[in-house]
Amino acid sequence: MPEIEIRNLEDTDIGDIVALDETIGGAYRPEVWERRIGYYLRRDPECSAVAESDGRVVGFMLGEVRSGEFGLEEPAGWIEVVGVDPEVRGGAIGRRLAEAMFEAFRRRGASSVRTLVYDSVPDVASFFRSLGFEPEPLTPLIKNL
Amino acid sequence: MSTKTSRLPKRYHDAVVKWSETYLPDYPLLLENWERFFPKDPKFDLCAYREMGMCEEIECGALKGKLKFMRSGEMEPEQAGHLLGAIRAQASTEFGSIQQHQLTLSRAQEEEDQFWILRMMAEELRHGYQMLHLLAEDDWEAVSDESSDDMIEQILAMRTGSHILGAFNIEFDSFADSIVFCAVIDRVGKYQLSMQKISAYKPMAESMPQMLREEAFHLTAGVVPLRRWMARAAEGSPYITVDDMQRTLNKWIPRGLEMFGDERGGGTNVRYGLKPMKNAEAQEKYYREVEKVIRDLNVRYLRARLPELSSQEALDLLDSLEREHGTERGVAWDDLLRMPDIRFFRRRGVPAFQMVGQQGETYDDVDAYLKHLEDQLPGPYRAGRDYRQYVELLREVAAGDKVADAAAHELPALSRVGGVCPCSRAVRWVAGDDAPAGNGAERSGSAALGD
Repeated sequence: MPEIEIRNLEDTDIGDIVALDETIGGAYRPEVWERRIGYYLRRDPECSAVAESDGRVVGFMLGEVRSGEFGLEEPAGWIEVVGVDPEVRGGAIGRRLAEAMFEAFRRRGASSVRTLVYDSVPDVASFFRSLGFEPEPLTPLIKNL
Repeated sequence: MSTKTSRLPKRYHDAVVKWSETYLPDYPLLLENWERFFPKDPKFDLCAYREMGMCEEIECGALKGKLKFMRSGEMEPEQAGHLLGAIRAQASTEFGSIQQHQLTLSRAQEEEDQFWILRMMAEELRHGYQMLHLLAEDDWEAVSDESSDDMIEQILAMRTGSHILGAFNIEFDSFADSIVFCAVIDRVGKYQLSMQKISAYKPMAESMPQMLREEAFHLTAGVVPLRRWMARAAEGSPYITVDDMQRTLNKWIPRGLEMFGDERGGGTNVRYGLKPMKNAEAQEKYYREVEKVIRDLNVRYLRARLPELSSQEALDLLDSLEREHGTERGVAWDDLLRMPDIRFFRRRGVPAFQMVGQQGETYDDVDAYLKHLEDQLPGPYRAGRDYRQYVELLREVAAGDKVADAAAHELPALSRVGGVCPCSRAVRWVAGDDAPAGNGAERSGSAALGD
Protein backbone atom coordinates (compact mmCIF):
# COMPACT_ATOMS: atom_id res chain seq x y z
CA MET A 1 0.00 0.00 0.00
CA PRO A 2 1.37 3.47 -0.83
CA GLU A 3 2.37 5.67 2.08
CA ILE A 4 -0.48 7.46 3.79
CA GLU A 5 -0.13 11.03 5.01
CA ILE A 6 -2.48 12.48 7.61
CA ARG A 7 -2.90 16.24 7.28
CA ASN A 8 -5.38 19.05 7.89
CA LEU A 9 -8.46 19.40 5.70
CA GLU A 10 -8.05 21.80 2.74
CA ASP A 11 -10.37 23.34 0.15
CA THR A 12 -8.75 21.20 -2.54
CA ASP A 13 -10.09 18.06 -0.84
CA ILE A 14 -13.73 18.79 -1.71
CA GLY A 15 -13.68 16.86 -5.00
CA ASP A 16 -12.01 13.79 -3.47
CA ILE A 17 -14.38 13.76 -0.48
CA VAL A 18 -17.41 14.04 -2.78
CA ALA A 19 -16.10 11.01 -4.70
CA LEU A 20 -15.27 9.07 -1.54
CA ASP A 21 -18.72 9.74 -0.08
CA GLU A 22 -20.23 8.47 -3.32
CA THR A 23 -18.11 5.32 -3.10
CA ILE A 24 -19.23 4.70 0.46
CA GLY A 25 -22.87 5.76 0.27
CA GLY A 26 -23.71 5.50 -3.42
CA ALA A 27 -25.04 9.06 -3.78
CA TYR A 28 -23.37 11.98 -5.58
CA ARG A 29 -23.81 14.96 -3.24
CA PRO A 30 -21.45 17.79 -4.23
CA GLU A 31 -23.61 20.57 -2.76
CA VAL A 32 -23.73 18.82 0.62
CA TRP A 33 -19.94 18.58 0.82
CA GLU A 34 -19.27 22.06 -0.52
CA ARG A 35 -21.40 23.39 2.30
CA ARG A 36 -20.05 21.04 4.97
CA ILE A 37 -16.40 21.45 4.11
CA GLY A 38 -16.92 25.19 3.85
CA TYR A 39 -18.30 25.07 7.36
CA TYR A 40 -15.46 23.06 8.89
CA LEU A 41 -12.76 25.07 7.14
CA ARG A 42 -14.37 28.23 8.39
CA ARG A 43 -14.60 26.90 11.93
CA ASP A 44 -11.06 25.58 12.24
CA PRO A 45 -9.18 23.70 9.51
CA GLU A 46 -6.86 22.13 12.09
CA CYS A 47 -9.77 20.28 13.73
CA SER A 48 -10.54 18.22 10.62
CA ALA A 49 -8.15 15.74 9.05
CA VAL A 50 -7.76 13.78 5.85
CA ALA A 51 -5.68 10.75 4.91
CA GLU A 52 -3.97 11.16 1.57
CA SER A 53 -2.42 8.38 -0.47
CA ASP A 54 -0.77 8.89 -3.81
CA GLY A 55 -2.32 12.38 -4.14
CA ARG A 56 -5.86 11.18 -3.37
CA VAL A 57 -7.95 11.48 -0.22
CA VAL A 58 -8.70 7.97 1.09
CA GLY A 59 -10.16 8.96 4.43
CA PHE A 60 -11.48 11.97 6.27
CA MET A 61 -12.69 12.97 9.69
CA LEU A 62 -14.44 16.29 10.26
CA GLY A 63 -14.99 17.95 13.60
CA GLU A 64 -14.64 21.00 15.78
CA VAL A 65 -14.34 22.16 19.35
CA ARG A 66 -17.56 23.46 20.87
CA SER A 67 -18.89 24.29 24.29
CA GLY A 68 -22.07 25.44 25.94
CA GLU A 69 -24.47 22.98 24.34
CA PHE A 70 -26.85 20.92 26.48
CA GLY A 71 -25.21 22.35 29.56
CA LEU A 72 -21.84 20.88 28.56
CA GLU A 73 -19.82 23.95 29.42
CA GLU A 74 -16.35 22.45 29.10
CA PRO A 75 -14.90 22.79 25.59
CA ALA A 76 -15.15 19.38 23.93
CA GLY A 77 -13.93 18.10 20.60
CA TRP A 78 -16.73 16.74 18.43
CA ILE A 79 -16.11 14.18 15.71
CA GLU A 80 -19.04 14.60 13.39
CA VAL A 81 -18.25 12.98 10.05
CA VAL A 82 -16.01 10.02 9.22
CA GLY A 83 -15.32 8.30 5.93
CA VAL A 84 -12.66 5.80 4.87
CA ASP A 85 -12.30 4.27 1.43
CA PRO A 86 -13.44 0.61 1.69
CA GLU A 87 -10.39 -0.39 -0.37
CA VAL A 88 -7.98 0.75 2.32
CA ARG A 89 -9.96 -0.24 5.42
CA GLY A 90 -8.03 -2.31 7.90
CA GLY A 91 -4.96 -0.12 7.55
CA ALA A 92 -5.59 1.83 10.77
CA ILE A 93 -6.39 4.96 8.78
CA GLY A 94 -9.40 5.76 10.97
CA ARG A 95 -7.27 5.43 14.08
CA ARG A 96 -4.57 7.70 12.66
CA LEU A 97 -7.17 10.29 11.66
CA ALA A 98 -8.70 10.16 15.13
CA GLU A 99 -5.32 10.57 16.82
CA ALA A 100 -4.63 13.65 14.69
CA MET A 101 -8.03 15.03 15.69
CA PHE A 102 -7.43 14.31 19.40
CA GLU A 103 -4.16 16.20 19.24
CA ALA A 104 -5.83 19.18 17.53
CA PHE A 105 -8.64 19.15 20.09
CA ARG A 106 -6.13 19.08 22.96
CA ARG A 107 -4.35 22.10 21.48
CA ARG A 108 -7.69 23.92 21.43
CA GLY A 109 -8.18 23.27 25.12
CA ALA A 110 -10.63 20.37 24.90
CA SER A 111 -10.41 17.78 27.64
CA SER A 112 -12.86 15.31 26.09
CA VAL A 113 -14.03 14.14 22.68
CA ARG A 114 -17.65 13.41 21.83
CA THR A 115 -19.50 11.80 18.98
CA LEU A 116 -22.91 10.27 18.21
CA VAL A 117 -23.34 6.99 16.37
CA TYR A 118 -26.41 5.28 14.99
CA ASP A 119 -27.27 1.91 16.50
CA SER A 120 -27.90 0.74 12.96
CA VAL A 121 -24.20 0.96 12.13
CA PRO A 122 -22.51 -1.07 14.86
CA ASP A 123 -19.18 -1.06 13.02
CA VAL A 124 -18.87 2.66 13.66
CA ALA A 125 -19.67 2.24 17.35
CA SER A 126 -17.06 -0.54 17.57
CA PHE A 127 -14.51 1.69 15.89
CA PHE A 128 -15.05 4.44 18.44
CA ARG A 129 -15.00 1.99 21.33
CA SER A 130 -11.66 0.72 20.10
CA LEU A 131 -10.39 4.29 20.41
CA GLY A 132 -11.47 4.45 24.04
CA PHE A 133 -14.92 6.03 23.66
CA GLU A 134 -17.51 4.93 26.18
CA PRO A 135 -21.29 5.31 26.30
CA GLU A 136 -22.46 8.38 28.20
CA PRO A 137 -25.59 8.66 30.34
CA LEU A 138 -27.15 10.96 27.78
CA THR A 139 -29.97 9.88 25.52
CA PRO A 140 -30.57 11.54 22.19
CA LEU A 141 -34.28 12.20 21.69
CA ILE A 142 -36.16 13.14 18.55
CA LYS A 143 -39.76 14.02 17.63
CA ASN A 144 -40.68 14.03 13.99
CA LEU A 145 -42.67 17.04 12.80
CA MET B 1 -0.89 25.86 22.95
CA SER B 2 -2.78 29.09 23.57
CA THR B 3 -3.42 32.34 21.78
CA LYS B 4 -2.60 35.80 23.07
CA THR B 5 -4.86 38.64 21.98
CA SER B 6 -3.69 42.23 21.82
CA ARG B 7 -4.54 45.53 20.19
CA LEU B 8 -2.62 48.27 18.51
CA PRO B 9 -1.98 51.46 20.45
CA LYS B 10 -5.15 53.54 20.30
CA ARG B 11 -4.04 55.97 17.62
CA TYR B 12 -3.18 53.15 15.21
CA HIS B 13 -6.25 51.15 16.14
CA ASP B 14 -8.41 54.17 15.45
CA ALA B 15 -6.62 54.73 12.15
CA VAL B 16 -7.44 51.17 11.04
CA VAL B 17 -11.08 51.64 12.08
CA LYS B 18 -11.17 54.90 10.15
CA TRP B 19 -9.58 53.15 7.17
CA SER B 20 -12.28 50.48 7.30
CA GLU B 21 -15.01 53.11 7.28
CA THR B 22 -13.60 54.28 3.94
CA TYR B 23 -12.68 51.00 2.28
CA LEU B 24 -14.89 48.48 4.05
CA PRO B 25 -18.13 50.43 4.49
CA ASP B 26 -20.18 47.21 4.67
CA TYR B 27 -18.46 46.11 7.87
CA PRO B 28 -21.52 47.06 10.00
CA LEU B 29 -23.69 45.05 7.60
CA LEU B 30 -21.49 42.01 8.22
CA LEU B 31 -21.87 42.34 11.98
CA GLU B 32 -25.64 42.81 11.67
CA ASN B 33 -25.93 39.62 9.61
CA TRP B 34 -23.30 37.53 11.38
CA GLU B 35 -25.77 35.24 13.15
CA ARG B 36 -27.62 34.65 9.91
CA PHE B 37 -24.64 33.49 7.87
CA PHE B 38 -22.19 32.30 10.53
CA PRO B 39 -24.46 31.24 13.40
CA LYS B 40 -22.00 29.17 15.46
CA ASP B 41 -18.92 31.29 14.90
CA PRO B 42 -17.48 33.73 17.41
CA LYS B 43 -18.10 37.35 16.44
CA PHE B 44 -15.36 39.04 14.46
CA ASP B 45 -12.87 40.98 16.58
CA LEU B 46 -10.37 43.49 15.19
CA CYS B 47 -7.24 42.49 17.08
CA ALA B 48 -3.87 40.77 16.76
CA TYR B 49 -3.52 37.09 17.73
CA ARG B 50 -0.23 35.49 18.69
CA GLU B 51 0.06 31.73 19.03
CA MET B 52 1.99 30.77 22.14
CA GLY B 53 4.15 27.68 22.59
CA MET B 54 5.62 27.63 19.10
CA CYS B 55 9.11 26.45 18.20
CA GLU B 56 11.78 28.50 20.00
CA GLU B 57 14.64 27.65 17.65
CA ILE B 58 15.40 28.82 14.12
CA GLU B 59 14.17 26.08 11.82
CA CYS B 60 16.23 26.54 8.66
CA GLY B 61 19.20 28.36 7.19
CA ALA B 62 22.61 29.32 8.49
CA LEU B 63 21.38 29.94 12.04
CA LYS B 64 19.35 26.76 12.35
CA GLY B 65 19.09 25.59 15.96
CA LYS B 66 19.81 28.99 17.51
CA LEU B 67 17.10 30.79 19.47
CA LYS B 68 14.62 32.79 17.39
CA PHE B 69 14.82 36.58 17.52
CA MET B 70 12.35 38.51 19.61
CA ARG B 71 13.43 41.96 18.36
CA SER B 72 14.58 43.05 14.93
CA GLY B 73 17.56 44.83 16.53
CA GLU B 74 19.00 41.41 17.46
CA MET B 75 19.16 40.45 13.79
CA GLU B 76 21.79 41.17 11.13
CA PRO B 77 20.75 44.43 9.45
CA GLU B 78 20.28 42.77 6.05
CA GLN B 79 18.27 39.96 7.60
CA ALA B 80 16.07 42.46 9.42
CA GLY B 81 15.72 44.42 6.20
CA HIS B 82 14.39 41.35 4.39
CA LEU B 83 12.00 40.68 7.23
CA LEU B 84 10.77 44.26 7.22
CA GLY B 85 10.20 44.10 3.46
CA ALA B 86 8.09 40.97 3.94
CA ILE B 87 6.01 42.53 6.73
CA ARG B 88 5.31 45.65 4.71
CA ALA B 89 4.47 43.66 1.60
CA GLN B 90 2.18 41.37 3.58
CA ALA B 91 0.42 44.35 5.18
CA SER B 92 0.01 46.00 1.81
CA THR B 93 -1.58 42.87 0.32
CA GLU B 94 -4.07 42.57 3.16
CA PHE B 95 -5.33 46.14 2.92
CA GLY B 96 -5.00 46.15 -0.86
CA SER B 97 -7.26 43.17 -1.42
CA ILE B 98 -10.07 44.83 0.57
CA GLN B 99 -9.91 47.84 -1.72
CA GLN B 100 -10.15 45.52 -4.72
CA HIS B 101 -13.03 43.42 -3.40
CA GLN B 102 -15.00 46.50 -2.37
CA LEU B 103 -15.31 47.49 -6.02
CA THR B 104 -17.41 44.48 -6.95
CA LEU B 105 -18.84 43.20 -3.66
CA SER B 106 -22.33 44.49 -4.32
CA ARG B 107 -22.49 42.71 -7.68
CA ALA B 108 -22.70 39.19 -6.25
CA GLN B 109 -25.75 37.30 -7.47
CA GLU B 110 -25.94 35.10 -4.38
CA GLU B 111 -26.26 36.60 -0.93
CA GLU B 112 -24.22 33.81 0.62
CA ASP B 113 -21.32 34.42 -1.78
CA GLN B 114 -21.47 38.10 -0.92
CA PHE B 115 -21.36 37.55 2.83
CA TRP B 116 -18.57 35.02 2.54
CA ILE B 117 -16.52 37.60 0.67
CA LEU B 118 -17.50 40.29 3.15
CA ARG B 119 -16.33 38.13 6.06
CA MET B 120 -13.14 37.39 4.18
CA MET B 121 -12.59 41.14 3.74
CA ALA B 122 -13.02 41.72 7.46
CA GLU B 123 -10.48 38.97 8.17
CA GLU B 124 -8.05 40.53 5.68
CA LEU B 125 -8.46 43.75 7.67
CA ARG B 126 -7.47 41.82 10.76
CA HIS B 127 -4.48 40.33 8.93
CA GLY B 128 -3.36 43.82 7.93
CA TYR B 129 -3.86 44.86 11.55
CA GLN B 130 -1.69 41.93 12.61
CA MET B 131 1.15 43.12 10.37
CA LEU B 132 0.83 46.70 11.62
CA HIS B 133 1.07 45.26 15.11
CA LEU B 134 4.49 43.84 14.21
CA LEU B 135 5.58 47.24 12.91
CA ALA B 136 4.26 49.06 15.96
CA GLU B 137 5.67 46.68 18.58
CA ASP B 138 9.29 46.75 17.50
CA ASP B 139 11.80 49.49 16.77
CA TRP B 140 12.68 49.31 13.08
CA GLU B 141 14.69 52.50 12.83
CA ALA B 142 17.96 50.54 12.84
CA VAL B 143 17.02 48.96 9.51
CA SER B 144 14.86 51.65 7.99
CA ASP B 145 15.02 55.38 7.49
CA GLU B 146 11.34 55.44 8.32
CA SER B 147 9.78 55.22 11.73
CA SER B 148 7.01 52.73 12.53
CA ASP B 149 4.65 55.71 12.48
CA ASP B 150 5.64 56.58 8.92
CA MET B 151 5.51 53.00 7.71
CA ILE B 152 2.05 52.42 9.14
CA GLU B 153 0.85 55.68 7.72
CA GLN B 154 2.19 54.81 4.28
CA ILE B 155 0.54 51.39 4.29
CA LEU B 156 -2.81 52.82 5.29
CA ALA B 157 -2.48 55.45 2.57
CA MET B 158 -1.84 52.94 -0.23
CA ARG B 159 -4.52 52.51 -2.82
CA THR B 160 -5.05 50.23 -5.78
CA GLY B 161 -2.18 51.27 -8.04
CA SER B 162 0.29 52.06 -5.28
CA HIS B 163 0.50 48.75 -3.43
CA ILE B 164 3.74 46.83 -3.18
CA LEU B 165 2.76 43.80 -5.26
CA GLY B 166 1.40 43.86 -8.79
CA ALA B 167 -1.60 41.63 -8.14
CA PHE B 168 -2.97 44.18 -5.69
CA ASN B 169 -2.77 47.03 -8.16
CA ILE B 170 -5.21 45.53 -10.63
CA GLU B 171 -8.77 46.70 -10.30
CA PHE B 172 -11.59 44.17 -10.20
CA ASP B 173 -14.00 44.38 -13.10
CA SER B 174 -16.62 41.89 -11.94
CA PHE B 175 -17.59 39.63 -9.05
CA ALA B 176 -15.85 36.83 -10.96
CA ASP B 177 -12.60 38.65 -10.16
CA SER B 178 -13.50 38.53 -6.50
CA ILE B 179 -14.14 34.79 -6.54
CA VAL B 180 -11.15 33.84 -8.69
CA PHE B 181 -8.91 36.13 -6.63
CA CYS B 182 -9.87 34.18 -3.49
CA ALA B 183 -9.24 30.84 -5.18
CA VAL B 184 -5.97 31.83 -6.83
CA ILE B 185 -4.31 34.84 -5.16
CA ASP B 186 -5.29 33.98 -1.59
CA ARG B 187 -3.73 30.59 -2.29
CA VAL B 188 -0.38 32.34 -2.72
CA GLY B 189 -1.15 33.96 0.62
CA LYS B 190 -1.56 30.51 2.14
CA TYR B 191 1.89 29.51 0.90
CA GLN B 192 3.50 32.69 2.17
CA LEU B 193 1.87 32.41 5.58
CA SER B 194 2.82 28.72 5.84
CA MET B 195 6.42 29.57 5.03
CA GLN B 196 6.51 32.52 7.43
CA LYS B 197 5.21 30.26 10.19
CA ILE B 198 8.81 29.13 10.68
CA SER B 199 10.24 32.67 10.61
CA ALA B 200 13.39 33.26 12.63
CA TYR B 201 11.63 36.39 13.93
CA LYS B 202 9.38 34.89 16.58
CA PRO B 203 6.66 37.57 16.56
CA MET B 204 6.21 36.92 12.83
CA ALA B 205 6.03 33.14 13.31
CA GLU B 206 3.52 33.57 16.14
CA SER B 207 1.34 35.81 13.97
CA MET B 208 0.87 33.19 11.28
CA PRO B 209 -1.25 30.33 12.73
CA GLN B 210 -4.50 32.27 13.17
CA MET B 211 -4.02 34.02 9.83
CA LEU B 212 -3.56 30.60 8.20
CA ARG B 213 -6.73 29.24 9.78
CA GLU B 214 -8.68 32.17 8.42
CA GLU B 215 -7.00 31.90 5.03
CA ALA B 216 -8.39 28.37 4.65
CA PHE B 217 -11.87 29.87 4.59
CA HIS B 218 -10.80 32.55 2.10
CA LEU B 219 -9.79 29.85 -0.37
CA THR B 220 -13.10 28.11 0.21
CA ALA B 221 -14.92 31.40 -0.47
CA GLY B 222 -13.38 31.23 -3.93
CA VAL B 223 -13.44 27.52 -4.71
CA VAL B 224 -17.00 26.73 -3.61
CA PRO B 225 -18.68 29.43 -5.75
CA LEU B 226 -16.46 28.41 -8.68
CA ARG B 227 -17.59 24.80 -8.32
CA ARG B 228 -21.22 25.91 -8.26
CA TRP B 229 -20.69 28.15 -11.28
CA MET B 230 -19.13 25.27 -13.21
CA ALA B 231 -22.15 23.08 -12.48
CA ARG B 232 -24.53 25.84 -13.55
CA ALA B 233 -22.50 26.54 -16.69
CA ALA B 234 -22.76 22.86 -17.59
CA GLU B 235 -26.52 23.06 -17.16
CA GLY B 236 -26.67 26.03 -19.56
CA SER B 237 -26.93 28.90 -17.09
CA PRO B 238 -27.16 32.22 -18.90
CA TYR B 239 -25.10 34.00 -16.24
CA ILE B 240 -21.49 32.93 -16.10
CA THR B 241 -19.84 30.74 -18.71
CA VAL B 242 -16.76 28.54 -18.60
CA ASP B 243 -15.15 31.03 -20.98
CA ASP B 244 -15.77 33.86 -18.50
CA MET B 245 -14.14 31.83 -15.75
CA GLN B 246 -11.24 30.80 -18.00
CA ARG B 247 -10.48 34.39 -18.93
CA THR B 248 -10.57 35.46 -15.30
CA LEU B 249 -8.24 32.62 -14.32
CA ASN B 250 -5.92 33.64 -17.16
CA LYS B 251 -5.88 37.16 -15.76
CA TRP B 252 -4.94 36.14 -12.21
CA ILE B 253 -2.89 32.94 -12.30
CA PRO B 254 0.16 34.63 -13.91
CA ARG B 255 0.04 37.34 -11.25
CA GLY B 256 -0.19 34.69 -8.54
CA LEU B 257 2.90 32.92 -9.91
CA GLU B 258 4.82 36.20 -9.87
CA MET B 259 3.97 36.82 -6.23
CA PHE B 260 6.50 34.11 -5.32
CA GLY B 261 9.29 36.28 -6.70
CA ASP B 262 11.84 35.55 -9.36
CA GLU B 263 12.31 31.83 -9.94
CA ARG B 264 16.05 32.27 -9.46
CA GLY B 265 15.68 33.82 -5.99
CA GLY B 266 14.58 33.06 -2.48
CA GLY B 267 17.88 31.72 -1.21
CA THR B 268 18.45 34.71 1.04
CA ASN B 269 15.20 34.18 2.91
CA VAL B 270 16.09 30.50 3.43
CA ARG B 271 19.61 31.37 4.56
CA TYR B 272 18.26 33.91 7.04
CA GLY B 273 15.73 31.43 8.41
CA LEU B 274 12.76 33.52 7.30
CA LYS B 275 11.22 30.92 4.97
CA PRO B 276 11.90 27.23 4.35
CA MET B 277 11.57 27.20 0.55
CA LYS B 278 13.15 29.07 -2.33
CA ASN B 279 10.85 30.88 -4.75
CA ALA B 280 10.89 28.29 -7.54
CA GLU B 281 10.10 25.39 -5.22
CA ALA B 282 7.15 27.19 -3.63
CA GLN B 283 5.92 28.42 -7.00
CA GLU B 284 6.01 24.90 -8.44
CA LYS B 285 3.98 23.50 -5.53
CA TYR B 286 1.48 26.33 -5.96
CA TYR B 287 1.19 25.69 -9.69
CA ARG B 288 0.44 22.00 -9.09
CA GLU B 289 -2.17 22.89 -6.48
CA VAL B 290 -3.98 25.31 -8.80
CA GLU B 291 -3.82 22.60 -11.47
CA LYS B 292 -5.68 20.30 -9.07
CA VAL B 293 -8.30 23.00 -8.40
CA ILE B 294 -8.92 23.33 -12.13
CA ARG B 295 -9.12 19.57 -12.58
CA ASP B 296 -11.70 19.33 -9.78
CA LEU B 297 -13.71 22.14 -11.36
CA ASN B 298 -13.71 20.23 -14.64
CA VAL B 299 -14.94 17.08 -12.91
CA ARG B 300 -17.73 19.15 -11.36
CA TYR B 301 -18.63 20.38 -14.84
CA LEU B 302 -18.59 16.90 -16.39
CA ARG B 303 -20.74 15.39 -13.63
CA ALA B 304 -23.31 18.17 -14.08
CA ARG B 305 -23.30 17.92 -17.84
CA LEU B 306 -23.32 14.12 -17.97
CA PRO B 307 -25.12 13.05 -14.78
CA GLU B 308 -25.08 9.43 -15.88
CA LEU B 309 -21.30 9.26 -15.37
CA SER B 310 -19.82 7.77 -12.22
CA SER B 311 -16.96 9.53 -10.48
CA GLN B 312 -14.40 7.22 -12.09
CA GLU B 313 -16.00 7.56 -15.53
CA ALA B 314 -15.85 11.35 -15.24
CA LEU B 315 -12.17 11.15 -14.31
CA ASP B 316 -11.48 8.80 -17.21
CA LEU B 317 -13.30 11.14 -19.60
CA LEU B 318 -11.34 14.10 -18.28
CA ASP B 319 -8.04 12.21 -18.71
CA SER B 320 -8.98 11.37 -22.26
CA LEU B 321 -10.00 14.95 -23.12
CA GLU B 322 -6.78 16.28 -21.57
CA ARG B 323 -4.74 13.81 -23.59
CA GLU B 324 -6.50 14.03 -26.95
CA HIS B 325 -7.87 17.60 -26.84
CA GLY B 326 -10.84 16.27 -28.82
CA THR B 327 -14.57 15.78 -28.27
CA GLU B 328 -16.16 12.85 -26.47
CA ARG B 329 -19.75 12.26 -25.38
CA GLY B 330 -20.56 15.69 -26.78
CA VAL B 331 -18.03 17.45 -24.54
CA ALA B 332 -15.13 19.20 -26.23
CA TRP B 333 -11.76 19.89 -24.61
CA ASP B 334 -12.52 23.56 -25.28
CA ASP B 335 -15.66 23.32 -23.13
CA LEU B 336 -13.48 22.80 -20.06
CA LEU B 337 -11.12 24.97 -18.03
CA ARG B 338 -7.46 24.72 -18.95
CA MET B 339 -4.53 25.50 -16.68
CA PRO B 340 -2.44 28.25 -18.29
CA ASP B 341 1.15 27.43 -19.13
CA ILE B 342 3.46 28.61 -16.35
CA ARG B 343 5.07 31.07 -18.81
CA PHE B 344 1.79 32.51 -20.14
CA PHE B 345 1.26 36.30 -19.87
CA ARG B 346 4.18 36.76 -17.50
CA ARG B 347 5.92 40.04 -16.86
CA ARG B 348 8.20 39.10 -14.01
CA GLY B 349 10.59 36.27 -13.34
CA VAL B 350 12.36 34.04 -15.83
CA PRO B 351 9.52 33.98 -18.42
CA ALA B 352 8.92 37.76 -18.24
CA PHE B 353 7.73 39.10 -21.61
CA GLN B 354 8.23 35.78 -23.38
CA MET B 355 5.40 35.41 -25.88
CA VAL B 356 4.00 32.11 -24.68
CA GLY B 357 0.39 31.21 -25.28
CA GLN B 358 -2.13 29.84 -22.83
CA GLN B 359 -1.29 26.27 -23.78
CA GLY B 360 2.45 26.79 -24.12
CA GLU B 361 2.58 27.64 -27.81
CA THR B 362 5.18 30.28 -28.66
CA TYR B 363 4.80 33.42 -30.77
CA ASP B 364 7.39 35.41 -32.70
CA ASP B 365 5.10 38.25 -33.72
CA VAL B 366 3.82 40.72 -31.12
CA ASP B 367 0.55 41.42 -32.90
CA ALA B 368 -0.21 37.73 -33.23
CA TYR B 369 0.48 37.30 -29.52
CA LEU B 370 -1.74 40.24 -28.64
CA LYS B 371 -4.49 38.75 -30.79
CA HIS B 372 -4.09 35.54 -28.78
CA LEU B 373 -4.35 37.50 -25.53
CA GLU B 374 -7.48 39.16 -26.85
CA ASP B 375 -9.00 35.68 -26.99
CA GLN B 376 -7.73 34.74 -23.53
CA LEU B 377 -8.24 37.73 -21.24
CA PRO B 378 -11.41 39.49 -20.09
CA GLY B 379 -12.39 42.49 -22.22
CA PRO B 380 -12.82 44.96 -19.34
CA TYR B 381 -9.34 44.07 -18.10
CA ARG B 382 -7.82 44.68 -21.55
CA ALA B 383 -9.41 48.12 -21.53
CA GLY B 384 -7.53 49.05 -18.35
CA ARG B 385 -4.23 50.69 -17.61
CA ASP B 386 -2.52 47.58 -16.27
CA TYR B 387 -2.90 45.80 -19.58
CA ARG B 388 -1.92 48.86 -21.59
CA GLN B 389 1.34 49.09 -19.67
CA TYR B 390 2.04 45.42 -20.31
CA VAL B 391 1.41 45.81 -24.04
CA GLU B 392 3.65 48.88 -24.29
CA LEU B 393 6.48 47.13 -22.47
CA LEU B 394 6.03 43.96 -24.50
CA ARG B 395 6.40 45.93 -27.72
CA GLU B 396 9.59 47.55 -26.42
CA VAL B 397 11.05 44.20 -25.37
CA ALA B 398 10.08 42.53 -28.65
CA ALA B 399 11.65 45.40 -30.61
CA GLY B 400 14.88 45.03 -28.68
CA ASP B 401 14.55 48.48 -27.16
CA LYS B 402 14.44 47.09 -23.67
CA VAL B 403 15.57 43.88 -22.01
CA ALA B 404 12.93 41.84 -20.20
CA ASP B 405 14.50 42.32 -16.76
CA ALA B 406 14.44 46.08 -17.17
CA ALA B 407 10.87 46.01 -18.44
CA ALA B 408 9.90 43.85 -15.48
CA HIS B 409 11.04 46.63 -13.19
CA GLU B 410 9.32 49.46 -15.03
CA LEU B 411 7.44 51.41 -12.50
CA PRO B 412 4.95 54.11 -11.97
CA ALA B 413 6.39 57.33 -10.72
CA LEU B 414 4.76 57.56 -7.35
CA SER B 415 4.27 61.10 -6.34
CA ARG B 416 3.56 62.58 -3.02
CA VAL B 417 0.41 64.62 -3.34
CA GLY B 418 -1.73 66.58 -0.97
CA GLY B 419 -4.51 64.80 0.86
CA VAL B 420 -5.20 63.44 4.24
CA CYS B 421 -4.69 59.78 4.87
CA PRO B 422 -6.98 57.89 7.23
CA CYS B 423 -4.49 58.13 10.07
CA SER B 424 -4.66 61.84 9.91
CA ARG B 425 -1.53 63.84 9.66
CA ALA B 426 0.03 63.10 6.38
CA VAL B 427 0.20 63.13 2.71
CA ARG B 428 -0.55 60.05 0.69
CA TRP B 429 1.13 58.12 -2.05
CA VAL B 430 -0.72 57.54 -5.25
CA ALA B 431 0.27 56.55 -8.74
CA GLY B 432 0.47 59.60 -10.94
CA ASP B 433 -1.97 59.78 -13.83
CA ASP B 434 0.78 59.36 -16.37
CA ALA B 435 2.37 56.53 -14.49
CA PRO B 436 2.02 52.91 -15.42
CA ALA B 437 0.59 50.59 -12.75
CA GLY B 438 3.02 49.26 -10.20
CA ASN B 439 4.89 50.89 -7.40
CA GLY B 440 8.10 52.14 -5.97
CA ALA B 441 8.87 49.06 -3.97
CA GLU B 442 8.88 47.01 -7.14
CA ARG B 443 11.63 49.25 -8.48
CA SER B 444 13.73 48.46 -5.46
CA GLY B 445 13.39 44.78 -6.06
CA SER B 446 10.67 43.86 -3.58
CA ALA B 447 8.21 43.00 -6.30
CA ALA B 448 7.10 39.83 -4.69
CA LEU B 449 6.71 38.12 -1.38
CA GLY B 450 9.88 36.19 -2.22
CA ASP B 451 13.30 37.82 -2.54
